[in-house]
Amino acid sequence: MKELDRIPREVYAEAEKFGVFERDILAAAASDRSRDGIYCDNWILVTRDELLLLGGIDVVEPDERRRRSDPRRLTVKYSKISAERLDRKELSDFKTEKLISGCILTAVDRESQNSVLITYLTCEKEKSMGELCAFLNEECEIETGGRSDGAPPARQGRDARRKGPGGPGGPGGPGGEPGGGDELYCPKCGRKYPDPRTAICPHCVSRASVVERLMGFVKKYRVSVLLILLAMGLTSALSVISPYVSSQFFYDQVLTVGGEFYGQVALVIFIIVSLKVLSLLVEMVSNIITARVVPKIVYDLKETIFSSIEKLSLSYFTNRRTGALMNQVGGDANTIYWFFVEGLPYLIVNVVQTLAVAVIMFFIDWRLSLVAVAFCPAAFFAVKWLYGVMKKLNARRYSASRSMNGMLSDVLGGVRVVKAFARENEEIDRFDKKSGDLATADKTATSFETVMFPCVTFMFVISSVLITGIGGWLVIKGMLTYGKLLSFTAYAAMLYSPMVFFVNITQSITNCFNATYRLMEVMDAEPEVKEKANAENVGRADGRVTFENVCFGYDKSRRVIENVSFDIEAGKKIGIVGHTGAGKSTLANLLIRLYDPDEGRILIDGRDVRELSFETLRKNIAIVSQETYLFQGTILDNIRYAAPDATLDEVICASKASGAHDFIVKLEDGYSTRLGWGYKELSGGERQRVSIARAILRNPRILILDEATSAMDTRTERAIQEALEKLTEGRTTIMIAHRLSTLRDCDSLLVIEHGKVAESGTHSELIRQKGIYYKLYTLQYEALKNAGVEE
Amino acid sequence: MEITTDKNDKAENGEKITGLFEAAGVVYLDFGNCRFVKHGDFLGAEISVGEAKSYGRVWLHRSFPYELPENYISVQDADGEEIGLIRSLDSYGEEQKALIGAELARKYYTPKIERILSLKETHGTSFWKCLTDAGELSFTLQDTSRSISKVGGDAAVITDMFGNRYRIASLKGLDKKSMRKLEIYL
Repeated sequence: MKELDRIPREVYAEAEKFGVFERDILAAAASDRSRDGIYCDNWILVTRDELLLLGGIDVVEPDERRRRSDPRRLTVKYSKISAERLDRKELSDFKTEKLISGCILTAVDRESQNSVLITYLTCEKEKSMGELCAFLNEECEIETGGRSDGAPPARQGRDARRKGPGGPGGPGGPGGEPGGGDELYCPKCGRKYPDPRTAICPHCVSRASVVERLMGFVKKYRVSVLLILLAMGLTSALSVISPYVSSQFFYDQVLTVGGEFYGQVALVIFIIVSLKVLSLLVEMVSNIITARVVPKIVYDLKETIFSSIEKLSLSYFTNRRTGALMNQVGGDANTIYWFFVEGLPYLIVNVVQTLAVAVIMFFIDWRLSLVAVAFCPAAFFAVKWLYGVMKKLNARRYSASRSMNGMLSDVLGGVRVVKAFARENEEIDRFDKKSGDLATADKTATSFETVMFPCVTFMFVISSVLITGIGGWLVIKGMLTYGKLLSFTAYAAMLYSPMVFFVNITQSITNCFNATYRLMEVMDAEPEVKEKANAENVGRADGRVTFENVCFGYDKSRRVIENVSFDIEAGKKIGIVGHTGAGKSTLANLLIRLYDPDEGRILIDGRDVRELSFETLRKNIAIVSQETYLFQGTILDNIRYAAPDATLDEVICASKASGAHDFIVKLEDGYSTRLGWGYKELSGGERQRVSIARAILRNPRILILDEATSAMDTRTERAIQEALEKLTEGRTTIMIAHRLSTLRDCDSLLVIEHGKVAESGTHSELIRQKGIYYKLYTLQYEALKNAGVEE
Repeated sequence: MEITTDKNDKAENGEKITGLFEAAGVVYLDFGNCRFVKHGDFLGAEISVGEAKSYGRVWLHRSFPYELPENYISVQDADGEEIGLIRSLDSYGEEQKALIGAELARKYYTPKIERILSLKETHGTSFWKCLTDAGELSFTLQDTSRSISKVGGDAAVITDMFGNRYRIASLKGLDKKSMRKLEIYL
């Protein structure tokens, strides 16, 4: 018996009432929704002649048999509510079909060919029910010799969606191979960069100009900033006064007989409390102002960085990694933020305070001051060394952890490949090593920290012991008052406390300068492709495209396009063929002005594209490239991206023409399906179809399809081309493809090789020439013939 | 982005992009060319586009299930190919509407959560017990936050680890106790 779910005793008992005994049951499966869709517990028992459907519920009750030993023990008993018998011979083509939530089991009535709903089920039972269907259909086949036809449509749709991971593509970069990588030397002075990743030459950065720029962000809020500085100055002044009042003044003038305020303890208490309250109030006010102003400054910063980046030409992006740019928007703004909130104010406070404290100390006693100050450089360098080593150890720990995490996400993401090549054990070893590295780095850092921190702290202890000793001797000799000694020790502690801050602030100032400098670099970078000041606005172009002796290279030293000239009449369809890397996509990038040619001209309707406004270009040209990028949001949003006011009918028609409509409506949420991280993932072909719909809706005069159908099967491609055929009538269409069958309806073809036009003409002309095209064609044709596919 | 039915006629809407309607070849269906009949427990259709043809079972899909449940309904055949699109059910009479309605109701039925009785989470997997319009149901979510998505404004759809869906018709309408359990995942 094929028992897909374990049959409880009660089910057998119920089945017997219908004359179905255990030996008769060939297969059985449970379903968790009934024939009416009610959530309950049902059984489908298959015998030679019939299907017995038992509807019922599992009743949970105390276990009678074990009531004595364990009174809390429960048992599940099946209780039948309904029963139905179906004649198996009348039914065929059993299948499960997916609904929006859950599934149904259906069959076809042999006689009337009508579909019959056998039962509902949730997705949990889909797998076992699928096996039951396979069992039932197999039996049908043996009995009737018939063949059940294809899979149900709902399943097809789902399977298609499961195909291929279809990971999110990068943001549309160009097809070419931009050169360049990390530069190691400053182009201005030729010195090596201290950190090649940031590419900042400290010699060539004018500090003054950086500070000036930095202050530019603050200028808008100068009143608030001044208030903050004032408040902080006040706070530090108050904190400098308070040891004087609470120790020197208190002991020498109030507690000592003959003091000016002898016996007036309440007065001192009053002064101390008011000083504290005053400093608390000032601090609160300054914090409130800070909290209000700083987020605004950071907002300004991020806004400035993002808009500067968005305005730049594509070439800027190809020379830098997306990650680095993201870092720039987020990280640099934060660095600058940090400097303004935590760095600069405390720097001012600490410098003022330390100087004030030093001066006061000299006034109290110059001999003790010499001792205290002598320790300062030693303490500073000790702390600096300690933090330097700590930083290195922490960096090692961080890089070990990053390397482990990177490996984890890499391997887990590529788990299909790992499994396919049976590399599990190697990956486990690799992980073991990375994890071990992290543990070692952790151990070293922690041990150093626990040993060295107390050692450095001990230096401060020595200094304060010396001060107490020498001071005590001076007091005994009558050269110093007791109150003065007490306040002096308090001031000495104040002198040392910002030491750690001073060590760290140098680094944070450097970071802030670097961030600002990078920011300036982006803000000052001139977009290479610029719109002309008095650019022409042409409403609707005719669509004639001319390339005149165009030369171009992403890297100025290496030409990708060499002296290319051709002319496409308005409304014609042209195909561009060539090997990978021949420069096909570059031609498209040049036409839409993602780059400007180094030499030569590109004309639309006889006008140089550089003379036309960006708006004219974008309105008249639409491109669907091989790297499709869909934004987070619904499918509808994505299709309407370029034409937000398109009607739903237009959206549906555009999707239909691009072959996307049929699969979209089959998705549970239809056009409202959300795409993006954590939501629906579409396959490569599906993404391309959505992108084509987006381009169609743009309704351009010139349509560029850059390998736009490469991820589809030939049949789907054909169907889309037929639709596009009608749609592109009267439009200039440039089709770039690797697969020659894609281009067979083109009016003429250009064969690009090594950035040059090697051949051009119609399909039959090129075949007659017996050149490169002929070779490519016969090659692909042969391959298809060998595979048994005749074009 | 707002989703509303286009008030104008489809032909008028299509004028903006020349040739779009012809190229797309969308077949619009209404009572004039498409009648629905019972096909066993399901829906069959008799459609006369060009020539009259009696389809066996047909499948209905909503293009905008949340925003426009009664518009843009795709009618597909057994191969999953679209036969045509019903822009609006207006042309159909009561009897036909009932047939279509029953088929759509079956396909799009999603238990409606009325109250969350208990919600426990351990290591990202959460166990739910809810009172729904289909009685008390228990289900399990993996990666809780990502299994709950807001749709069509105020509604939410929850997809469990097996792919079963549950919906909350209105988040604002949910009682406070349930909302407190749910809100950390929204």
